[in-house]
Amino acid sequence: MSEFLSLEDLTLAYGGSVAVDRLNLGIRRGELIALLGPSGCGKTTTMRAIAGLLSPKSGTIRLDGRDVTRVAPSRREVGLVFQSYALFPHLTVFENVAFGLRLRKEGDLAAKVAAGLATVGLSDFADRAPAALSGGQQQRVALARSLVMNPKVLLLDEPLSNLDARLRLEMRLELQRVQRETGVTMIFVTHDQAEALALADRIVVMRDGKIEQVGSPEQIWTEPASGFVADFVGFETILPDPETGGALAWRPAAVTLGEGPHRGVIRGASFAGAHREYVLDTALGVVKAETPASVPPLAPGAEVAFDLPRARAVRLASA
Amino acid sequence: MNGRLAAWAVLGLVLTFLIGPFLIIIAAALSAGESLAFPPQGLSLKWVVKVFEIESFRASFGVSMFLAVFGTLAALALGVPAAYGLNRYRVPGAEAVRTIVSAPIIVPGIIVGLALLRYLVIPTGVGIGPALFLAHTALILPYAVRVVSASLENLRTDIEEAAVLLGCTRFGAFRRVVLPNIRGGVLAAFILGFVTSFNQVPVSLFLSGPGVRTLPVDMIAYMEINYDPSVAALSALLAFMSVAIVFAAEKFLGFSKYV
Repeated sequence: MSEFLSLEDLTLAYGGSVAVDRLNLGIRRGELIALLGPSGCGKTTTMRAIAGLLSPKSGTIRLDGRDVTRVAPSRREVGLVFQSYALFPHLTVFENVAFGLRLRKEGDLAAKVAAGLATVGLSDFADRAPAALSGGQQQRVALARSLVMNPKVLLLDEPLSNLDARLRLEMRLELQRVQRETGVTMIFVTHDQAEALALADRIVVMRDGKIEQVGSPEQIWTEPASGFVADFVGFETILPDPETGGALAWRPAAVTLGEGPHRGVIRGASFAGAHREYVLDTALGVVKAETPASVPPLAPGAEVAFDLPRARAVRLASA
Repeated sequence: MNGRLAAWAVLGLVLTFLIGPFLIIIAAALSAGESLAFPPQGLSLKWVVKVFEIESFRASFGVSMFLAVFGTLAALALGVPAAYGLNRYRVPGAEAVRTIVSAPIIVPGIIVGLALLRYLVIPTGVGIGPALFLAHTALILPYAVRVVSASLENLRTDIEEAAVLLGCTRFGAFRRVVLPNIRGGVLAAFILGFVTSFNQVPVSLFLSGPGVRTLPVDMIAYMEINYDPSVAALSALLAFMSVAIVFAAEKFLGFSKYV
């Protein structure tokens, strides 16, 4: 019972279809958790249920020792930074951040809002309209708006997906810094494994409304528990293992091209900067491989020898 | 070159047709003569002054104003929640409701007026006044629902969820977040409703009685007895009022983007 937030047998349904099926998950105070999975896996639905925007069909949500399953979202002390930021267009940045504090009738409003804006580095933007800000700035306002409420859990819906590559790195560091400074428990939803690996303390990989694997970024990266997780973190060639009855998975870089016992035909080739990527049609199935960019390119249609070294494969219980 | 000339000619004809009557009415209103005529006989403001002296015009102007203002407010009180409900929730039969709400635009006013007179006023003994008020509210409702729906469609729904998570009730979120952001649409609906109600003739024609008569109906009645330029003067004043309202609306809130 050391868990700060726990989801117990949580089942969520839209209309007749089950979106999340008897999910169990425990999260400790101050953790930074990523809910990772493809669209439709139930990660956003789970997040909305934690926020209270969606009532579970069955199951329990406990937060800080209290059953909040039927508690209204306005009383849960959960913050949510929407993917589209959801700033109030008719209010200034200051008033957006002050919105929740005003409803709580808290004193020291100006100081608290100023502190919130300072945390996200937007002190000079208090009087602007949200529409006059860039996407990254709008997201910071949304973050400040949630943070000033001192939520027990801060939820973030795809926090980096609307930002360009440069801003993404900046925001990632920002989120980590905010989390360190405030100690708030954060859960963010993402479909991008790189984002989850870089940001989270623990990753929850979801598929079809169920948890596929929970683990540290290192564990998810090096010891995927299933073919699905393996594929999701870049083990793109997954083949059955006749010796164990399970399966073996290789990253493209683990496949040896140019020599080996197998032969395949190059169906597709692309240059990706540091390396070249190849898709091979083989008797074993489709194999994805890559070579350093310094190796001369292979032409599509060419037949090539390759090897799938066991030593560089990850063992899976099943494909 | 000939094509261009023809285009200008057509444009000229269309403009003459659209604006011509307006110019003729203004000219007739400024006549010094005793009867409604064009071209005017002499130039004078006496008929414009006369308009304000005619007792029945003052009374029916009051009726029309009351109907236009409060009928529109009533239509908005019904129409804004209706538009919100139709927009945000998957209500069974939403399309049917939309169609029914639009019916007063499609059904000819004469039919609405006759039906209300024959099946509401006569059998139930409801006064002409309340019947007129109900009729105008119903006639404005489609505009209220449509214009407000259009603004709601342009408004994100997640801001309501954000407001709820920051401590609002559902209704609080509507009041603090939705309403301020559809204000332009609501105002546009009000103006459209006001003008529609004020210019309404066919329904009001059936629903008029002693002491309760809208201005346009009163003007028709007046003209049947007195064929003098005061009606032209009043028409010109009303036209200027409508133009002023729409002009102000366009200037201050970009009216044309809502309708």
